[in-house]
Amino acid sequence: MTVLQEQAPLMSARDVNKWLGRNHILRGVDMTVEPGEIVCVLGPSGSGKSTLLRCINGLEAIESGTINVDGDRVGFTTRKGQLYEHTEQEAALMRRRIGMVFQHFNLFNHMTALQNVTYGPRKVLGLPKAEAIKQGLDALDKVGLSLKRDSYPAQLSGGQQQRVAIARALAMKPQLMLFDEPTSALDPELVGDVLAVMKRVAEEGMTMIIVTHEIGFAREVADRVVFMDEGRIVESGPAAQVLDHPANERTANFLRHVK
Amino acid sequence: MTTNNEALTKVHLATDSPLTTPQRSSDEPQRVSGEKARRRKPYGQWATAALILAIIGAFCWTQAGNEKLDWASVGQFMFHPAILKGIAVTLELAVFSMLISVVLAFGVALMCQSRNRVASAVGKLYVWFFRGVPLLVQILIWFNLAVLYPTILGTDTNELISGFTAGLCALSLAESGYMAEIIRGGIISVNKGQTEAGLSIGLTRGQALRRIVLPQTIRVIIPPTGNQFIGLLKASSLVSAIGGSDLLTQTQLIYGQNFKIVPLLIVATVWYLILVSVASVGQYFLERKFNPEGASSRFSFRKAGRP
Repeated sequence: MTVLQEQAPLMSARDVNKWLGRNHILRGVDMTVEPGEIVCVLGPSGSGKSTLLRCINGLEAIESGTINVDGDRVGFTTRKGQLYEHTEQEAALMRRRIGMVFQHFNLFNHMTALQNVTYGPRKVLGLPKAEAIKQGLDALDKVGLSLKRDSYPAQLSGGQQQRVAIARALAMKPQLMLFDEPTSALDPELVGDVLAVMKRVAEEGMTMIIVTHEIGFAREVADRVVFMDEGRIVESGPAAQVLDHPANERTANFLRHVK
Repeated sequence: MTTNNEALTKVHLATDSPLTTPQRSSDEPQRVSGEKARRRKPYGQWATAALILAIIGAFCWTQAGNEKLDWASVGQFMFHPAILKGIAVTLELAVFSMLISVVLAFGVALMCQSRNRVASAVGKLYVWFFRGVPLLVQILIWFNLAVLYPTILGTDTNELISGFTAGLCALSLAESGYMAEIIRGGIISVNKGQTEAGLSIGLTRGQALRRIVLPQTIRVIIPPTGNQFIGLLKASSLVSAIGGSDLLTQTQLIYGQNFKIVPLLIVATVWYLILVSVASVGQYFLERKFNPEGASSRFSFRKAGRP
């Protein structure tokens, strides 16, 4: 890790390449996210947005390049000048600092909403039960679902499940939150509730990287919009600039279709 | 024909019962509501039922008069101490080999799913062998273990391996081959997203498997496991081939002396049916308990309900 960090970005990706079988998914992605910054990643499906998120929290390994989160390299550690792959424990320690919200929620089906939210703090962070429950109820309250604390995921709507999933990720007090198309699997009338919760999280100063197709949300909440196509970042800049005056032809074309 | 009958019945009921008569506004034309459709008699069904009952009745009639059946002897041996002891051994065999096989099968299923290629190959080989060799052959091999290993850890093998222990070993291992496949199926049935969600809150892969995935497989595993247990109850009768002192062995011992073969086989039949019926009822309640979306869901699944 020889990269000089002038202003210490919270997340920095340099020349990241990722292959899945024969497909070159990420082709030299460079990206930095400052602390407290909200970055929305747009782009057609198959452009590598989701894969980028999965690489940032180490769910997928990258073939070349480096990804750093809060000064630590994702997936590798240096001991006595030698680079080593993370052990399971080291990888887990890294991932607990990065919250992730999935397109299909992935709530633990055999646990109630409250159990979902308190499981990580209790078993991973080692919080005492009473403290974990107190914080878990606060987290559920923040997403407006404290009344559903004893409901199982199957008893909740998609929007409610996604809000519980956000609360579950927040309960780990992560330094960075990743959202992988959080509203794509929802019925249209449920999207608003989830976006409102995400906006509240953003207002509290959380650093967020959001892969989304919600242009309106990106315009309103994002500090910066990144546009990806075919595994590359083709345009990046302030939300208003990229969305209203795209410099890149492909960005403009995509936005015309989405609007 | 049946569907016609049902349709007619519905018309009849709808017009007959004031509860199901829909409210009609006065300007609507009168429909067939005033008429009563006569229910068509299901003569065909009656004929079939009569035929079936006649066949069963004829069978019972001829058997009731069959002196060789000797119902008095059936009654006499139904609760014979030797028979009751045999039932106890059959139950022990089934329950213990089920428990042992589940423990073994969890290990084998995890090996099969492992990213370690040697482990997964050995796991698959295990399933292939113990599921492939007929149970009776496995029982005989265990019973004749002394030929291979005259002593085990300094003890005479023939002292160690009785009919019961040979049967227990064979049943457990053979069953674990099937159970490993059932558990592996359960693990596969849990969405990959569950593991990823576990990883994302900082669990290691092993922790995610043990704490997130495995608990969710239980619900999928229970119904086939119940079937396996019922199968095991019946398969345990095979140890009679080596004198495993189970229900069938005891039955054979008795009829070997008094030659009342059929009455004693009826005793065994009745007891096996009773055991299987009890197991079926147990399976029903287990399934209900482990189905969180089922009838009594919220209250029975994880009674505590809160973390």
